[in-house]
Amino acid sequence: MVATSHDVMPDIELYQPADEATALDLAARLGNEGWLLSGGQDTYGWLKDRNKTPSAMIELTQIDAWRGVKEISNGVEIGATTTLTEIANDPLIKSRFGLLAKAASVVASPQIRNVGTLGGNLNQDARCWYYRRGLDCYRAGGNICYADSPEGLNREHALFGASRCVAVSPSDTAPALVALDATMVISSSNGQRTVPAQDYFVGPDRDIVNMTALNEGEILTAVQLPNAWANAEFYWEKVADRNVWDFALVSIAAVFKTSGSTIEDSRVACGAVECVPRRLESVESAIRGQQRSEAVASSAGEMATDGARPLNYNHFKVPLMQNLVKRAIRG
Amino acid sequence: MGEIVRYKRDVWGEEVILGVSWDLLYVVFMAIIVLLVAHAIVMAALAKKNLERPTAEGRKVVRHESVDRWFHWLMAASILALIFTGVSPILGLRIAWLDLHWMSGLLLTFLVVAHIIRASFWQDFKSMLLVPKDFGEPFDSSRKPGKYYFEQKGMHWAVTVVTLAVIVTGVLMFMQIDTPFWDRTNSMAEDQLGLVFLLHGLSTLALVALAATHIYFALRPEKIYYTRSMISGWMSEDELAANHDPGQWSPKEAD
Repeated sequence: MVATSHDVMPDIELYQPADEATALDLAARLGNEGWLLSGGQDTYGWLKDRNKTPSAMIELTQIDAWRGVKEISNGVEIGATTTLTEIANDPLIKSRFGLLAKAASVVASPQIRNVGTLGGNLNQDARCWYYRRGLDCYRAGGNICYADSPEGLNREHALFGASRCVAVSPSDTAPALVALDATMVISSSNGQRTVPAQDYFVGPDRDIVNMTALNEGEILTAVQLPNAWANAEFYWEKVADRNVWDFALVSIAAVFKTSGSTIEDSRVACGAVECVPRRLESVESAIRGQQRSEAVASSAGEMATDGARPLNYNHFKVPLMQNLVKRAIRG
Repeated sequence: MGEIVRYKRDVWGEEVILGVSWDLLYVVFMAIIVLLVAHAIVMAALAKKNLERPTAEGRKVVRHESVDRWFHWLMAASILALIFTGVSPILGLRIAWLDLHWMSGLLLTFLVVAHIIRASFWQDFKSMLLVPKDFGEPFDSSRKPGKYYFEQKGMHWAVTVVTLAVIVTGVLMFMQIDTPFWDRTNSMAEDQLGLVFLLHGLSTLALVALAATHIYFALRPEKIYYTRSMISGWMSEDELAANHDPGQWSPKEAD
């Protein structure tokens, strides 16, 4: 159904559980009819436009256990309802995992970061305007992609991994978490499971209507950052049309372990080029043991875009991605 | 539940067909289970009345050439792969199904075309023709068929029609996605695309029902030698004499 913006919220039930058990019970009971609400930055537009019509919202922000940054035995755990501003300013995150602090600090705008949460940023839905407009595209359960057509506006869309849908992962923090080898903690009334950040995001080839590994009734409750990449050498860069309140055209998150100018190990991930954060394992392999140089950086940059399939209006992303990889490796 | 066709709004806001309602998959599944279980119960009740089964011993005759058996099993594998990959997203399985689906579809298309050519020029095409007098065969126990009996012909032609429908609509859908051979054009109007999706979905449901029925009857003990002949190629002269009219079908002796 094509969107009609009422600019008001629909009549909807609001649950505000104060403890984990109640929230998980509500999530299990309501299933897909229960919309998980945290900062609300990916909620109110959907509901006001009537493009998503859940019967209830489950607000998660009153559950203390799912908020804040704390040390755990092998690293740091961040509650999923911790705001992006809190993450960007947290001393522990800044001192050990500055990459995530940097990524969180450039999400959208200060106002959005003040209420927007890590969980919301990671779980936000695709930002393709055809989808957001309410058209019945593949991602909305339809049988066509409006963005990937001769007239389709696809400047911001995918270079890689498109399978019918060409939308990209819009999250700024997601590539940082993939680079940091984070672990996602998923809770449900049946217990808890963990998923590597790299596997948490799901492409349209495997699931065209959901962007994450969350199943019905599950909630992302925390993200764990292992000490293995704490205080590594970080590189983060986001290129967007505007410096604030904009999604990345391409972003890069990279972590390096170096000895002098030699790269001993690395993890590199790009955002906004695929429906999931795109980890560049071929680049990581190619630069392992190499000394940083212009030649190595250029070669890695070109390697990064192998297999890219630009759409009509996003060819510019290829050199943009190459240059970001080059800059990250050059340091 | 309750709907057969799903609709959507196209880009102009007009209501157009989106495809088949996949609730029907569960309806078809349950209906097939009920029918086959009922058949199994009836057959078990009638089992004592059955005559002695023909023996597999003795001289053997050729029922299926090696090339035809390969065609059959490759077609079976590709159809099962198509069904599995096609229904996996409907069942909520998160696998990269689409590439496997169209690859299986291409294989099936090639096999079907090759089979049609071979059946038209190198096989006894008439032996599979379903003519009016065949419809009396199930009601007359004294009549013996040629190479294929009525139910086998019926199954073959039902599968043929449904498979051709799946292939034609599948090829049209294949042209709407990116492949190594071309980039999609999204050139088909949304109402036409919806009709193609609907026909593909309906023929898929029919294919699921036919495949389940075919597998069930292939595993029935009283006719298991037909399945054996599709594996080994032969049936015994006793089995031939018990079930077929040598006047209409006189196969050569097996090696």
